[in-house]
Amino acid sequence: MTVFLLCGGGVFAAPGVYQKPSDFVKSSLGQIPATQAIKLTGAQQARVRAMLGKNYKSKSIRYWSAKGKTAYILEEIGKTEDITTGIVVKGGRIDAVKVLIYRETHGGEVARHSFTRQLRGVSLKSDLQLSKNPKNIAGATLSVRALTKLARLALYLETLK
Amino acid sequence: MKPDAPRRRRHRSRQGHRWIGLAAAFPLLWLALSGILLNHAATFGLNDRMVTSAWILRHYNQIPEGDPVGVLVGDRVVAGWNGLLFLDSKQIPLQGELQGAAALKGQLVVATDEEIGIFNGSDELVLELDELSLPGVPVEGISVQEGRLLVYSKAQWYRLSEDFFTSEEVPEIVSSLPPDLLAADHRKELSEAMQTRRAMPLSRVILDAHSGSLFGWPGWVITDLSALSLLVLTVLGLRLFPRPRS
Repeated sequence: MTVFLLCGGGVFAAPGVYQKPSDFVKSSLGQIPATQAIKLTGAQQARVRAMLGKNYKSKSIRYWSAKGKTAYILEEIGKTEDITTGIVVKGGRIDAVKVLIYRETHGGEVARHSFTRQLRGVSLKSDLQLSKNPKNIAGATLSVRALTKLARLALYLETLK
Repeated sequence: MKPDAPRRRRHRSRQGHRWIGLAAAFPLLWLALSGILLNHAATFGLNDRMVTSAWILRHYNQIPEGDPVGVLVGDRVVAGWNGLLFLDSKQIPLQGELQGAAALKGQLVVATDEEIGIFNGSDELVLELDELSLPGVPVEGISVQEGRLLVYSKAQWYRLSEDFFTSEEVPEIVSSLPPDLLAADHRKELSEAMQTRRAMPLSRVILDAHSGSLFGWPGWVITDLSALSLLVLTVLGLRLFPRPRS
């Protein structure tokens, strides 16, 4: 294990693909609607930076809307690798969260349904914090934090549509 | 047993405790300190602080296998190396194997087999397009024609709209420039950049130093000996605990 870590195994490890983003959007919305995007202004980027601790990886963030729901495919670094996550928002509350691609070597417990279901029904408070934070998972603290950030980001993006 | 045996045994224990304690003092202090730091890594911001020291990063051997390929777009070099993508030796946040790059209205388009990234003049990723927004994946090539981006996938060229979200088939054959092996000077520059710029979170470096793995086998030996010495110190300390009868 130590040799693996020394060789930067985490960097080149094969990612765990739980579901293709297109399959997530299709299963969540019943179809794949036309792509739309939110182009973040300077002020919006500043708020995103406050939430994530850094700028989001791209200035425009795509989303897909149908049946009163909006699906976001967002990415955030857990420890060193991106965690690709699908989040569905309905009526200002999180309807579903699913880890789609997990690339880290540790902390994959956040992909379990028992964790992601804690975020269901959560909304965004005026201070851009979640109405209820998920419980931490020992050994997966950074991944938990990354998913919490993405949940906040998705709810914030919903207010910008 | 002779009457002075307990006293001799106590003397040996004390001597052993003293010298083993002295020898293991520094490694044990480091283990204790680094353990506390790791337990409170978030509080101290160690996950966000990055280590950029070249000699530490070299220990992590972060050079991928295989040969890097690249595309020249004006004076910019877009390179791909075993799934990692670089723009002028700086890593860019795209996934997949490099398929091409092109300039488009002051922007730079980088295509991998999995996605396409649009970068502005400041090298910021403006938009990321994947299977959900592209006419098809894997992407096998890109080109620019009359100010519009063309994507080749599944034996068909597609012309993307101005906002990149819709596409139409292009009947004619379009030429594109596939990535080629990187020139020796660019490869050397990329290797050096990877060794020195792939910063690691401070918490990861402390974790590896805590376990001893950062310093190779000498580190493991020192860590193991420190742990063993702690066991011995505990036993010797317990043997010293009963006070001798006066």
